[in-house]
Amino acid sequence: MSIFMQLIVSGISVGMIYGVIAFGYQLTFATSKTLNFGQGEALMIGALVGLTTINVLIGQSLGTFTAYCLMLPVVLAFGALQGTVVEWLGVRQAIKTKSEAGWIMATIALGIIFKNVAENVWGRDALKFPSPLAEASLSFWGIRIQPMEIAIVIGALGMMLAVEFFNRRTIQGKAVVATASDRDAAGLMGINTSRVITFSYALSSMTAAFAGVLVAPVTLTGATMGAVLGLKAFAVAIIGGLSSGLGVVVGGLILGITETMTGFYVSTGYKDVPGLVLLLLVLSLRPSGLFGKTTIKKV
Amino acid sequence: MKIKLLATVAAVVMSGTAFAADPIKLGLTGPFTGGSSSMGVSMRDGVKLAVEEINKAGGVLGRKIVLVERDDEAKNELGVQIAQELVNKENVVASLGFINTGVALASQRFFQEAEIPVMNNVATGSVISKQFSPPDHKANYIFRTSANDIIQSGMIAEEAIKRQGFKKPAILADSTNYGQLGRTDLTAALAKFNVTPVVAEKFNIGDTDMTAQLLRAKEAGADVILTYAIGPELAQIANGMAKLGWKVPMIGSWTLSMASFIDTAGPNGDGAMMPQTFIQVPSTAKRKAFIEAYQKAYNVDRIPSPVSAAQGYDSVYLLAAAIKQAGGTDGRKIREALENLNEKVEGVVTVYDKPFSATDHEAITDNIPVFGLVKGGRVVPAHPEDLEGDKVVRVKKKS
Repeated sequence: MSIFMQLIVSGISVGMIYGVIAFGYQLTFATSKTLNFGQGEALMIGALVGLTTINVLIGQSLGTFTAYCLMLPVVLAFGALQGTVVEWLGVRQAIKTKSEAGWIMATIALGIIFKNVAENVWGRDALKFPSPLAEASLSFWGIRIQPMEIAIVIGALGMMLAVEFFNRRTIQGKAVVATASDRDAAGLMGINTSRVITFSYALSSMTAAFAGVLVAPVTLTGATMGAVLGLKAFAVAIIGGLSSGLGVVVGGLILGITETMTGFYVSTGYKDVPGLVLLLLVLSLRPSGLFGKTTIKKV
Repeated sequence: MKIKLLATVAAVVMSGTAFAADPIKLGLTGPFTGGSSSMGVSMRDGVKLAVEEINKAGGVLGRKIVLVERDDEAKNELGVQIAQELVNKENVVASLGFINTGVALASQRFFQEAEIPVMNNVATGSVISKQFSPPDHKANYIFRTSANDIIQSGMIAEEAIKRQGFKKPAILADSTNYGQLGRTDLTAALAKFNVTPVVAEKFNIGDTDMTAQLLRAKEAGADVILTYAIGPELAQIANGMAKLGWKVPMIGSWTLSMASFIDTAGPNGDGAMMPQTFIQVPSTAKRKAFIEAYQKAYNVDRIPSPVSAAQGYDSVYLLAAAIKQAGGTDGRKIREALENLNEKVEGVVTVYDKPFSATDHEAITDNIPVFGLVKGGRVVPAHPEDLEGDKVVRVKKKS
C-alpha cells in the first residue's frame, strides 16, 4: 500500500509540473486560439535567468531561501517580457492576416532561437540550481517526499488560482474572459483585444518561467530542459482540453500518475506509452479534451 | 615591382622554414561543449599538455607537432564531417580523440580508408577497436588507450559479487546505445558468477523522476545498484535513493566519476564506485608531475575528468614514439610502428611495453584499472592497497 501511495505522490509532483506548463498553453489559446510552441523554451530560459539571478544574490551573502524569494519577481518580469516579445514577433502578424499556420512556424522558430541563445550564454551543460528548501525528504506514514516537491504542488496551484482570481474579479481579467468567449464581440464592446492577446502571452510565459524556477531545484537547469517538458505538457493540454484551466491540471495529474504507475507495475521501458495511448484515445473519442467545451467552427 | 620582390622574399622565407621544420599535423576531436564536455575538454587539455612538452623538448624527428582541434559536439553527423575535413583538407598525419562511441563508429572509417592511424583515447564501446579487424580488412588503423566496456563490466561484476559479496544486483541503464550495450555486457559479466540481476531498469536522457525504477529495484530486494548511464541521470538515481530513504551502494561504469554526477548528487553520491585507469593521486613521480603540470597550465585544483586527461596525455606520447620509430609521417609505417613499438613509453596510466600488436589494438587490459570511490566531491582510490608497492604501476598482461 505504501508503495502505491509513494507512486501516487511522485506522480502528482511530476504531473503538477506538466499541468502548470500546459496551463500556459491554455492561457493564450483561450484568448487568441493560438499557442506558443516555444513554451518549453520559455520555461528553460526563465529557469536559467533565475539561476543567474539567484547566484548573484547568493554572492551578496544572502541565504538561499531569501535569494530565491528575491529572484522570483525578476524571473516573473523576465517571463512577461519574453512572452510579449514572442507575441509581437511571432503571433501578432499571423492573427492580423488570419494566417492558419504562420504562428505555428513562428513560435517554433522563436523557441529554437531562445534555445540557441541559452546555449551560447549558459553553455550546454546541465547546471545545478540551489534549492531554497532542505533537500532531505520528509516521511509521512512511510511515504517519502521532498520539501521542494510539496512547494511545486503548492506553487503551481497557487499560481493557477491567482490567475483565475484575476480573470474573475478584476476589470482587466474580465476583458480577458470576454475576449476568450468572443473576440469580435469583445472588440465591439470597446475592449482592445490585441492588447489582451499580448497580455495573455506575457502571462503565459510568466507562468512558464515560474514553472521553470519551481522545478529547477528538483531537476537540473540547462538549455535542453524545456524540450521534453514542453512536449509532455502539450500532450497534457490535449488530454485535458485546451479551453479548460481545470482540465489541464487534471490532465497533468493523469499523465504524471500513469507514468509512474506504468513504470512500476508494467516496465520502466514502457513508461511513456500509456500517456500517449491516452492522448490518441482522447483525440479520437473527445477531440476537445476530457474537460474541453466542444466548439463548432463556422466557416 | 616592390610587391613582387616582397612576394619572392616571403616565398623564400616560407619555403625555408618548411624545409627546416615542417610541422607534424595531428587531428584532435571530441565534444568540447555539451553534456560530455567535461571528458572532451579534459582529454583535449591532456593532449595539449603532452604536445607542449614534446615541442619544448625539440619535437619529433626535429619537427614540431601542431594540433588541428575540432569540436564534434558528441554528434555523429558532425564527427563524420570533421573526419572528412581532417583527412582531405588538413591532411593530418594521425588523429587523437573520440569520447562518444557513436561518433567514433560513424567517423573512423574515413581515417581507416585513408590509412591514417586513430588513437581512441576515451570512447569505451567494445566494438570500436574491432570495427576494421583483419582478416576482413587488410590492416586496422584504430588503436585505443581507454578501458573498453567488456573490461569495465567485468570489473564491476567482480567487485560487486566476488569482492563485496552482493547477491542481488539491480541494473539501471539509460536508453542510449551506451547504456543498453553496457547493460548487455554487464548481464553477461554477472552470468559468469552465476548471478542474474533481480531487475534491469531503463530510463531516458533527461528523466528527472527515478521513483518507479528505484521502487522496482527495492521491491525486488536489490542489495546493490549497478549503473550504465551518464552524469546527470546518475545523479538523479543517487538523489532519488536519498528521497526514498533507501541506500544501497552504487557501482557502475567510469562515468560515475563525471563532474556532473559528483556535483549534482553532492553528499548523496558519496560511496559510488567505478573503474578508473587513473585517479588524481600523485602515486608515482610521473603522475605527480602530470597532475602538477595540469593544475598549473589550466589553473584548476580538481581535473574535471582525470581519466580522460591521463589517457589523452598518454596517447600523444605513444603516437610520438611510433612516429619516431617510423622515421616519417607515412600512415602505414606509423601503424606498423605502433603494432611493434620498441620504445618503452612511461605514461601516466601505465608503462606501455609493446602496448599493441597486429591483432590487439587495446592498450589497456583488465588488470590495469582500479576502483575509484566518490568521497567529498572527489574520486579517491576505493582500495588503497591496490596502489601499494609494486601494484602502483600495473602493466599490460602478456598474451
